[in-house]
Amino acid sequence: MALSRRQFIRNVSVAGGALSIGFSLSGCSTHGGPIFDTSSFQPNAFIRINEEGQVTVQIHKAEMGQGVVTGIITLIAEELEVHPSAVSYEMAPVHRAYADPEMALQITGGSASIRVYYDILRQAGASTRAILIRAAAEVTGIAESELYAKNGRIFASKGAYSASFGELVAAARSIAAPTDIKLKSRADFKLIGSYDRRLDSAPKVDGSAQFGIDAGPEDCLVAVLFRCPHFGGTLDSFEAKAALQHPGVVDIFQVENAVAVVAEGYWPALKASEKLEIQFTPADNALRSSEQISQAMTAAFESGKFNSVRDEGGLQAHTEGSLVEAEYHVPFLAHATMEPQNATAHVTDTLCEIWVGSQSPDIAQDIAARILGRPRETVVVHNQFLGGGFGRRTNADNVAEAVAVAARIKRPVKVIWTREDDMRHDFYRPATAGRLTAQVAENGAISNWKHQVVGPSINQQLFPMMGKAMLPSWAPTGVLGLAGDWVSKEDFSAVEGAKELPYQFDGISVEYHNLQVPVPLGFWRSVGHSHAAFIVESFIDELAVAAGVDAVEFRRRHLPADSRQRRALDAVAKLANWGQAPAGVYQGVAVHESFGTVVAEVAEISIENGKTKIEKFFCAVDCGQVVNPDIVLDQMEGGIIFALTAALYGEISLKDGAVEQSNFHDYQMLRHNETPIVSVHILDSAAPPSGVGEPGTPPAAPALANAIHAATGQRLRQLPLRLS
Amino acid sequence: MVEFELNGEKQMLDVALDTPLLWVLRDNLKLNGTKFGCGVGLCGACTVHLDGQAVRSCSIPISAILGRSVTTIESLGGEHPLQQAWIEHNVPQCGYCQSGQIMSAAALLASNNAPSDDEIRNAMSGNICRCGTYTKIRKAIHTAANSEVKMFDPNEEGVG
Repeated sequence: MALSRRQFIRNVSVAGGALSIGFSLSGCSTHGGPIFDTSSFQPNAFIRINEEGQVTVQIHKAEMGQGVVTGIITLIAEELEVHPSAVSYEMAPVHRAYADPEMALQITGGSASIRVYYDILRQAGASTRAILIRAAAEVTGIAESELYAKNGRIFASKGAYSASFGELVAAARSIAAPTDIKLKSRADFKLIGSYDRRLDSAPKVDGSAQFGIDAGPEDCLVAVLFRCPHFGGTLDSFEAKAALQHPGVVDIFQVENAVAVVAEGYWPALKASEKLEIQFTPADNALRSSEQISQAMTAAFESGKFNSVRDEGGLQAHTEGSLVEAEYHVPFLAHATMEPQNATAHVTDTLCEIWVGSQSPDIAQDIAARILGRPRETVVVHNQFLGGGFGRRTNADNVAEAVAVAARIKRPVKVIWTREDDMRHDFYRPATAGRLTAQVAENGAISNWKHQVVGPSINQQLFPMMGKAMLPSWAPTGVLGLAGDWVSKEDFSAVEGAKELPYQFDGISVEYHNLQVPVPLGFWRSVGHSHAAFIVESFIDELAVAAGVDAVEFRRRHLPADSRQRRALDAVAKLANWGQAPAGVYQGVAVHESFGTVVAEVAEISIENGKTKIEKFFCAVDCGQVVNPDIVLDQMEGGIIFALTAALYGEISLKDGAVEQSNFHDYQMLRHNETPIVSVHILDSAAPPSGVGEPGTPPAAPALANAIHAATGQRLRQLPLRLS
Repeated sequence: MVEFELNGEKQMLDVALDTPLLWVLRDNLKLNGTKFGCGVGLCGACTVHLDGQAVRSCSIPISAILGRSVTTIESLGGEHPLQQAWIEHNVPQCGYCQSGQIMSAAALLASNNAPSDDEIRNAMSGNICRCGTYTKIRKAIHTAANSEVKMFDPNEEGVG
């Protein structure tokens, strides 16, 4: 996420060498991070060790299944020389020490957790180890060069001395971290690249794992909200007499454009809310249905009003060869996390406590503080496991509701969303369209690639919210709307994946038209790449067909010989036995780079009674240095299944400014018996790690659509894919 | 007053008869291992056993549970062959669906102790996993099924 403060934050954080936010040069906890207890050794914001030798790590990223708990602990443990399974962990509190140096927020997203923190966490582990060695040297008189760390202890290379970390805590607390810390070289890694366990499995198989919906005081009330179904609409009036008489109901009142029903439990709250009589007025705007939005997109193309985001080689007036043109459309998508949105809050005169699974607890803290008109320091956010994030839990709308209800009811209250609420009050992946043209010469050379993108800007909507959390609470925020407008002209989230076309064509033009829609928008796993890859890699396939060249070979020819895309394509073609599929089995390919990672995928399908059967999926991934190979496989397979669900079933449609879908019967999920076998090959690389949470998703829909074309001759230019 | 057996213990509660079993477990009995996902029996996150059969607790009113026996994820103790297999295969990602997955798998193995891949796929298709852990779930079920075979002790029943 490229935000205006990014450069400033980076300059501050690298001043004085490689140390970053959350670090200090002293072992005595003046690092500016939170102090957890005064008797432990706490040399930085991430690690503390108590006198029993227990190492505890702060997890400052949201654990939503992508494995940050395991990843963060592994990076620290590698340098600290402890076994990952011996480390305990806590979800970090909100604190500037945990703000991501690139995003300037304590946010989890952009597949960035390991990439951004790879050096920082290893340095945290290494400098902690160095202090412990120095402590042992001071205690024993043995030279530091004759001491080493292993398995939570310090040993002397000559002689019998050894001490546990715990025994050295008292001495370590007064020692400054050495400045000449060297990180391990790849050849010495014991964990990074090979450790393949997960550290959070046990509570997730015995029912004890706490998600937001589970956490909070035991004597919590529960609130269900009846929200205006029309985006931008208003609550006119409501009649609560019958609902108030429902057994177990405590109170009913208005919160913004919703009615909150507070009761002793979820069931009485839900049943009482069904007895409400409510009048809503829909918003008065022209784009209230999917058809109207679609027409507006067509009109946008016809208008010719586009901002150029890439213009290379100039479009030539080529006349030889054939012109290929196509228009693609993808719909709004819901996140549909398995855990419906929820948040728990308790507001007293002096403190606001929040229990929630959040991808951005500092945004949650800021919103709560603004609602209450109190300093941020009086708001404590207890972050939990997330039952799915995918970008949805970046927004703090659930927290705003819980705080508003808790402030009024003056008791702890848990706001639980029904699945219908979750489906209809999401921050959707934007509907987007692309018009592409390109010239294909007789010899297969491609020129005049022109890609026009029409779609709304996520950042125009979200920038004000995120900006407020980044700034000090006293800073005026009026300008954030203007900044959002400015960002929207070239919104990276709308054009990413289209702008960075890797193919070597003679003349490339990418343009963007921001079509505002009255629909809440948000980051959905892989964001702009989720539509760009489908559109670009499908059109590339159309060009390959027009040129009469095999789909893999066509891509190879237009990529530099040393490109990561070519390497990934070659790997996946080999894995999939490209071109050797038996009769009745068809293959399609796609390659796409997102978040620094290159992924190539092949879909293998058959057609049964007019229906697509996905037999297998193959995936080759180049994500730089792997930290946990099993987690990389998980994220590729998970990202593919997430994408296939959307490609086959995903469509959020609007009528009267309200979402039509409501539950899993009309917003279907790919199930166990529809899921293909997925084979993943990880390409070896010593480059610094890039992300894996999202990059498996973009290539899946185009690989599938290209396979369907190979099987049927039908070119499907809309998602979800429907065979006619 | 509602009476039923939960994880081997008798329960007596004062709760509205139309309350789904799921919310009696979570709100009245504070057992949060069983999860809420959709409220209409489509996602499987709320799966528990009723008299040994896998059921969707969000869609069964407590009035239908009177005098019957309910088993939840908490009763497996953490050391059940399925739970050990789940850990061995690193199954959970976010973990939210896994209580329901494990309870469905336990019911499958109770009726079919050596299921094929396709039998697993069909039996488990009522449980949605948004993170896509299906393949590992299938592997873990095979592992648990095989380990239960290994646990058989021919000396126990005085055979031979």
